Amino acid sequence: MSVVLTAEKLVKTFPGVRALDEATLTVSAGSVHALLGENGAGKSTLIKLLTGVYRPDGGHIRLAGPDGLREVHFAGPQDAQRVGVGVVHQERNLIPAFSVAENICLQHLPRRNGLLDRARIRSEARRCLDLLDVDIDPDAPVSGLSVAHMQLVEIAKALSADSKVLLLDEPTASLTGDEADRLYAVVRRLCERGHAVVLVSHKLEEIFAVADTVTVLRDGRSVAEAEPLAGHTRDQIVDLMVGRAYQEVRLTPRTPDPTAEPALVLAGVATAAGHHDVNLAVRPGEILGLYGLVGAGRSELAKALLGLEQITAGEVRVHGKAARIRDVGDALRRHRIGYVTENRKEEGLFLSQTIARNTAVTVWRRLSRLGLVRDRAERALVAEYADRLGIRLASPDQLAGQLSGGNQQKVSLAKWLAADCDVLIIDEPTVGIDVRTKAAFHELITGLAGQGMAILLISSDLPEMVTLADRIAVMRDFAVVGELVNDHEYSRMSQSVIRLIHGAQEAA
Amino acid sequence: MKTATTPPAAPPAPPAAVAEARPRTLPFWANPRLGLVIVIVVLVALFSSLTPAFLDPRLTLAPLQADISVYVVVGLAQLAVLSLGHMNMAVGRMAALSTFAMGLAYDRLGVPLLVGLAVGLAVGAAIGALAGLVITKTGVNSFVVTLALDFGLLGLVTILYTRATDGVAFAVKPAGLAELRFDTFADYCLGEVCGPRVPLVVPFALVAVLAVGLLFRYARLGREILMTGANPVAAQLSGIPTHRRVVAAHALSGLLAALAGFLLAANNGAFSANVGESFLLPSFLAPVLGGTLLAGGAVSVLGTVLGATLTQVIYKGLNLLQFSLEDLKLYIGLVLLAALSLDRLRAVLAERRAVSSS
Amino acid sequence: MKNLVRTNEFTLAATAVVGFATLAVATDFNLLTAGTMDAFLSFLAVPMVIGLAQMVVLAVGQMNLSVGVLTGFCAMASAWLMVDAALPAPLAVLAALALGALVGLLNGLLVVFTRINGFIVTLATMTILEGLRYGVHGTGTYQGYSPGLRAVGQASLLGIPVVFLLALAVAVATALFFRRTVSGRRLLASGGNPFAARLSGISNDRALVLAHTLSGLLAGVAAVIVVAAFGSVNASIGDDLLLPSFAAPIIGGVALVGGVVSVTGTVLAAFLVRLVDVTQAQFDINRRWVDLIIGAVVLGAVLLGRARERLTGGAR
Repeated sequence: MSVVLTAEKLVKTFPGVRALDEATLTVSAGSVHALLGENGAGKSTLIKLLTGVYRPDGGHIRLAGPDGLREVHFAGPQDAQRVGVGVVHQERNLIPAFSVAENICLQHLPRRNGLLDRARIRSEARRCLDLLDVDIDPDAPVSGLSVAHMQLVEIAKALSADSKVLLLDEPTASLTGDEADRLYAVVRRLCERGHAVVLVSHKLEEIFAVADTVTVLRDGRSVAEAEPLAGHTRDQIVDLMVGRAYQEVRLTPRTPDPTAEPALVLAGVATAAGHHDVNLAVRPGEILGLYGLVGAGRSELAKALLGLEQITAGEVRVHGKAARIRDVGDALRRHRIGYVTENRKEEGLFLSQTIARNTAVTVWRRLSRLGLVRDRAERALVAEYADRLGIRLASPDQLAGQLSGGNQQKVSLAKWLAADCDVLIIDEPTVGIDVRTKAAFHELITGLAGQGMAILLISSDLPEMVTLADRIAVMRDFAVVGELVNDHEYSRMSQSVIRLIHGAQEAA
Repeated sequence: MKTATTPPAAPPAPPAAVAEARPRTLPFWANPRLGLVIVIVVLVALFSSLTPAFLDPRLTLAPLQADISVYVVVGLAQLAVLSLGHMNMAVGRMAALSTFAMGLAYDRLGVPLLVGLAVGLAVGAAIGALAGLVITKTGVNSFVVTLALDFGLLGLVTILYTRATDGVAFAVKPAGLAELRFDTFADYCLGEVCGPRVPLVVPFALVAVLAVGLLFRYARLGREILMTGANPVAAQLSGIPTHRRVVAAHALSGLLAALAGFLLAANNGAFSANVGESFLLPSFLAPVLGGTLLAGGAVSVLGTVLGATLTQVIYKGLNLLQFSLEDLKLYIGLVLLAALSLDRLRAVLAERRAVSSS
Repeated sequence: MKNLVRTNEFTLAATAVVGFATLAVATDFNLLTAGTMDAFLSFLAVPMVIGLAQMVVLAVGQMNLSVGVLTGFCAMASAWLMVDAALPAPLAVLAALALGALVGLLNGLLVVFTRINGFIVTLATMTILEGLRYGVHGTGTYQGYSPGLRAVGQASLLGIPVVFLLALAVAVATALFFRRTVSGRRLLASGGNPFAARLSGISNDRALVLAHTLSGLLAGVAAVIVVAAFGSVNASIGDDLLLPSFAAPIIGGVALVGGVVSVTGTVLAAFLVRLVDVTQAQFDINRRWVDLIIGAVVLGAVLLGRARERLTGGAR
């Protein structure tokens, strides 16, 4: 197998973050190369450097040519495509109103007599689709396709420029298991035809099923480099990805009272989003983990608790009393339920507003007199929570958009603490946050539980789950498929959880 | 309690955190308001040296203040929805409908001046709220909704005037309207002491400015409107009743449009069908000159006052210098373009400076 | 077939046919006489082209507030060239088109270089153009220019006014541009998903500039139609075009966020608005009811579009 692409000591710095710190990657023809790492390890940044979206601050990218490996510099995405590096980004990159064929050929729309050469677009698209052996009508508008077919169109688009290297960033995140299997069959076929495929996925089972070699990134560095996957166990790979961080943390021990009345109970809840028969209970001082893959319906369940999705059956009880929650204001003020969203930039923060306003937005009612907010009270509040959460800020008037990811997450948590919630739903609290801040966050969350807060923790990060949760409920396809008491033994717990995810029912 | 939540193993500040701890505030010269003040002062000096009549209190300054009052309120009417990142294309027609209601109240019911004003304000707020309701209920872009409303009101107002009057204006002149039109505080004396030469309409605008300023700076309602404008999803997830805030902002816009209509009617001395016809563009001009963007989440009330003042100073000055109304537009447009480009340049330079110094 | 029936264009076309037939019957077929039909179509030309001029910038998610005033300015400038500068009509026509495109180009460049919202940039240029339009000839009126051009403006081909045919040709060209040219597709791609367009090597800046330039050019075309068909022009030309320029594409199903255009829809919407206009004239209804109806139609069309989206979305 010949090497087709290498990245050597790539460095990329963003304001406040060193996203890549001399990362190295070597990719060979005819193989599937897995690029692994935790959230924030630098995988997507590396992909974006290799495809010309960003320019590196240091290091070299080399590509195989007729006369061996040659260094390349990409001024923009089209440069990378021109030399045969195709990519399917995490974000959907199709024009919905255009046909499949046109989307595939968008980078180099062929012309004849000055007009669009539709016959060639169609034949070109057909050729790319044939490479994948998939049956999609090139003339159909993309907006009418299923998500899985859109993903295949994206791959065809990436192949349209005769790409030798194909980079797939989380291609199965929104696919069902069957769809993912079919997609990987296509990937294997491409390899057999001599393409090199780089695959980023957080689903390790898929990686083990399809990849040949693996590079593991941690904190922007390659900790394993182009090693054959066959020689590794799953646990070894996980150890490489997370380091031993999850074992090093010594958290304040807690002893939640198992007889206390639950602060929040879901009894046989079904929702308009598709949940059915969900039964959960969280006691004060307890952390209930809600684990599942992306798309299992965890965030939707949280939103149903806030009145944003309709509850069609069953009952929600808060402190023993049946509760009908109309909206977030209702959840917050009447039932004292808070929700820390996973999308802090889109849903959690007001990036263009000051930290003071971001923190106090939930409690302006309390801080105001005659409808006017008392500035001094607001500042005192911000100072208190900045201190409690260790938010580094120069002034409360600093804009939230200027903070680093970790501090942003703390601000997005602060407004719920300020609102004195009894029940806090925390959704993916440490996505995109570096390891050290993550540890601080874990300590913070256990601390909150230690003060008697009932916490529903949603996370796709299994080590995090095992570190924090008292019990772990596993969700699949909008239903809870099992609940486990966490004994904090990582290998055993992860085995049980994974088994639940994959179908074997298990009683708690 | 504090000890429990402060991470005991708080890591030393990573280098990244140190760099970001310094807020990137822009230097004072990057403040667009300051530029406006300077331009206004320079223009006033220029106009008064070119034509001494510019400083004539009775012929120029008093009417100028009256005009500024109208257009400040017009600007605020637009600003009320710009805070959400919305637009109100019907601002002029809302004013027209409200002044119709006022005229009708004076004409048919013979109500006192301020009662009629209250009636008009209520109508303005109601029609604004209606626009807000349609926007929240249907999810259709505010531009489209208010544009359609503008068409609708354009027809309605003319029809109403045709039915209720000779088709152009109400003949009625409620008691106090003439004073509001012609008098300044200098006409009212307490013994020897007379008021300044400020038209009686100015306090109306002043109250509006203070109220709107207070609303967006300190009031929970105003702040929640701004947060809704900055990020509607985050606002909803923070427990803000976003739909009600949208309706409130549009109602406020309608109310201010009604006030502007009243002030213009007072300046003209008649409640007529053409009130509000010239409101749409100035309503954007004043806030935008003052540094309010269309994105929502931030407003500048003071900037709007300065923006309206600048445009009216230019109008008045060039008018005295015998420029025609249409020529004036040319200059206003150029000033707007220059102000925007400079603003952008300032922002870029300031940003660069802030980055290089951190 | 079922898909066709579901489209916005089909609804509009059906409404247009039914409306036209009803009006024809209600006026004892007076509508179909040569004179009335001629006026009907002649006065449809400008709203059509102006609607397209707005549609082109809506395609990239922008707005052009200056279309109406620009039309007036170009009309005044070309009349000035013919009357005061004694230039031959063809040159004056070309100058009007070039002037429109140039102002559009400036709009586009300003939007790209200042990164200021197109709404505000064109608000500024609109105000400037108002002054310039007036500056050409003050309050005076130009008339009696180029008998040849006037003749073209009055002429009919097979009973159809030439200016309407011209507007139709422009519509066809615009449709062709968006459907069949690479630039047109790139422009739409950029409007539909700027990030994806950039990753595909499409320059979003270039798309913005192109859209504004074309919008200006179409305003120039509208100006030529005005000069040819009306026989006299003054500084008020274009004042009543701004709001209708939005009404036509919005009723026609063009999204404000960009990425979707409908030439057929825009043309049909302009036709419908004209139909309402004529109805008002035929039955001597208060002129203002027209505005009221158009307002209702604009909102109704958008709401219908929403409902349709929801229905088809749910069916999938």
